[in-house]
Amino acid sequence: MSKSDSDTADMNVATYPAEADERWKQYDWQVIPGEPVAPPVNLALDEVLTKTVGQGARTPTLRIWRWAAPCIVIGRFQSVQNEVQAENAERLGVQIVRRISGGGAMFIQPENAITWSIHVPPSFVEGLSFPQSYAFLDSWVVSALRELGIDAWYIPLNDITSAGGKIGGAAQARRFGGVLHHTTMAYDMDPTLMLQVLRIGQEKLSDKGLRSADKRVGPLRQQTNLPRDTIIDFLIDRFTALTGGQPGRVTDTEMADAETLVQEKFGTQEWTYLLP
Amino acid sequence: MHGEYKTPGGKLVVVDLEVEDKRLARVMVSGDFFLYPEEALEGITAALTGLPIESDEGELARAVARAIPKGTELLGFSPEAIAIAVRRALA
Repeated sequence: MSKSDSDTADMNVATYPAEADERWKQYDWQVIPGEPVAPPVNLALDEVLTKTVGQGARTPTLRIWRWAAPCIVIGRFQSVQNEVQAENAERLGVQIVRRISGGGAMFIQPENAITWSIHVPPSFVEGLSFPQSYAFLDSWVVSALRELGIDAWYIPLNDITSAGGKIGGAAQARRFGGVLHHTTMAYDMDPTLMLQVLRIGQEKLSDKGLRSADKRVGPLRQQTNLPRDTIIDFLIDRFTALTGGQPGRVTDTEMADAETLVQEKFGTQEWTYLLP
Repeated sequence: MHGEYKTPGGKLVVVDLEVEDKRLARVMVSGDFFLYPEEALEGITAALTGLPIESDEGELARAVARAIPKGTELLGFSPEAIAIAVRRALA
């Protein structure tokens, strides 16, 4: 069913004031293509870069995530037991990590996910409601997907979807003086493995009208037949065209801070099992 | 004891709790919702802890609402959604 066919289309249209689109060009952006790192390092980098942007030590930044290992990333408010089949995850070598933003659990296999973070100062989303800011910060990727021939649109609060099924989801954290908006899209999926490591209860699907989780998803590989790196390069290209951003990198100091945060927070049982 | 409630078009709220002396104990509120600032969750959990198990949905929702400071943003859920999940856990 396409957007225009839907009875609830009007409710589902994500809108924000059009003048916000001017903001993309009003900042000096850095685009970090990213290196594969261990799962907790990716989460720690999110916190570090949100902080450095929040402090004004770094300009607004897009960072592409690369993964050195499979993992489950649970939301800030999720319970490990309720979301993860921990014994299976351990047996399959899938690490459990907790991010600083809310939202739902993601099962990440390094070649199956496309993930990035946008770090901006609060001024970038000033005057927008939370739902508007979600739609705004993902608007460029919806446009990029449409350029790839996918009939994609945004469903509030935080879903990127398409005629071919759900593509991805976003989450935000507002801390450390900055705004973090990160998004993951499904490039490919292994539903069998996913259902071995995640728990997907009936209640979660109660308003979806569908029986199984995998049927709701329309991975990009299936929808485009393009290699994952081609899609990532295209996203970087479209973002750069929109913002005039320059290639950037995580500084040595930022990486050192991230490693410290892994030791003190993201790699600890205390944080991962914050809600057991 | 365990209860779940998904706000239609919104997010899932999960409540795990125990009952001690006919009151809510060891309450954990979790889910895929968004809450700013994050620390507000501790106040919500504390507000539920110790409430009598016969508290109805309205009483539970009001207790949660009172524990949420002004300016807090709840996205995809509400005090009422938490109250429903608590009642389901107790059912």
